[in-house]
Amino acid sequence: MKRSARKFFIYGDIVLLLLIPFAIIALHRYERSPTPRLAIIQDMDQMPYLKPQRPSPLFADGRAMRPHIPGTMAREDFVFLNTAEARAHPNNWKKDHVVINSGQKYDRIMLGQVISGGKARFISHIPIPITRRFLERGRGKFDIYCTPCHGYDGRGNGTINRYVNRLRAAGSPDAGTWVQPTDLTGPGVQYLPAGGLYNVITNGIAAMASYKDQIPVVDRWAIVAYVKALALSQKVVPVDRLPPPVRAKLGAVPAAKVGK
Amino acid sequence: MSDSNKPHFVFPKWTNKIVKVILIGAVLLPIYVVLLLYYGANARTLNVGYEPVQPVPFSHALHAGTLGINCEYCHTDVARAAFAALPPTQTCMNCHTAIAPKSRKLQLVRDSYGTGNPKLAGMPIPWKKVNALPDYVYFNHAAHVNAGISCLVCHGHVNEMTRVYQARPLNMAWCLACHRNPAPYLRPRNEVTNLSWTPKNKTRLARDLGLSVAKLPKNLGKYLMARYHIPGKKILTDCETCHR
Repeated sequence: MKRSARKFFIYGDIVLLLLIPFAIIALHRYERSPTPRLAIIQDMDQMPYLKPQRPSPLFADGRAMRPHIPGTMAREDFVFLNTAEARAHPNNWKKDHVVINSGQKYDRIMLGQVISGGKARFISHIPIPITRRFLERGRGKFDIYCTPCHGYDGRGNGTINRYVNRLRAAGSPDAGTWVQPTDLTGPGVQYLPAGGLYNVITNGIAAMASYKDQIPVVDRWAIVAYVKALALSQKVVPVDRLPPPVRAKLGAVPAAKVGK
Repeated sequence: MSDSNKPHFVFPKWTNKIVKVILIGAVLLPIYVVLLLYYGANARTLNVGYEPVQPVPFSHALHAGTLGINCEYCHTDVARAAFAALPPTQTCMNCHTAIAPKSRKLQLVRDSYGTGNPKLAGMPIPWKKVNALPDYVYFNHAAHVNAGISCLVCHGHVNEMTRVYQARPLNMAWCLACHRNPAPYLRPRNEVTNLSWTPKNKTRLARDLGLSVAKLPKNLGKYLMARYHIPGKKILTDCETCHR
């Protein structure tokens, strides 16, 4: 009995020793580490060619990618100089066709202005045909680029504004010089010509930065269209002016709760 | 038979035990080594959990999580280009000219923007790449995002990461598992950056697909495969799809 107990402990110890490597691996598996992975076989994992956003000793700033040259635009910006070029583009012709074939069209689409007699004036209409798809694209882009500050309803109380308000209430210096973003449904934006709104997105205004590097031209116009639609949707409409089927739906709601 | 009186060499009795141990060892040791290698050299063990210390302590948990900023706000090109670009310093400064303008954590950002150390103006912030693929893999972000593959599938819940770490193995076997059968990983294109998306929200799904709730497809994956023209297994697992 004593002998078998000893045997049991010896074999048990061996098994436990054998389990130690597994325990170390298991620990490593569930721990995060700042050291890069162990590459046992390197193959051609790292090649000396330039990839986007890789460093390169060729240029003074150490970047492989070259910055945007002022006065030029990327071919991928979905704006074409003529119809033939647009048609030749493999992906985007049907989806995002905007053809610029005259100086005037360039001013209208790229700058949101018409220039006559040496004077520039913002255009009041969106120079791209507005379809449901275009508006939905505008909503998508609005949700991405505008909502953090202006909020989904456009009233200027997005998550960032609320966060900074909390910081300010706590007396944190991080609240900085933040000012509440503009109410996009208010008169200031509502009566701005479409070209003016486009210009704000392109070049920024007051505390708002320029978004021309983040949002392509056509998407900026889509956002303009959506903002106009959003402002309309936020207008208060008296119950008695609603179409009858909508009013029927609201029947159960007390009148006091619907708008003013 | 003169030799018969000479004593033969006889293995002592305890050697029987050694033979037994060697035989059992010869069977068990290879199994043990294979198991150890499989577990230890597994891509899940080696690749997952790489969490480099970044030059600026940017928190995705705050920006993408608490503040709910869309992935595309910073990684703008993800749906248009092969590469999901890191944002230029300008994007940080959209907000940080006003918010936390004097924060010490943002010193490198201000240096790069040109409002800090003038020697570093215009120089890039040396971010460390977390999710890296070998250079012979030609991964295309736009192709995946436009086919309804969420950021989540390859990058995990980045909106909960204070410091970004590699959440998936990103080895070839892992890629192929999805390339052989992509249907279960698909979602509507405009929900790709919504990391808390669930197919259970029928009204939202209907809005995303432009259908009425009653007409929603029973098999969403199969429906999206057809709608987004996703090629079959034969093309998706062709060598040339990812390697050139």
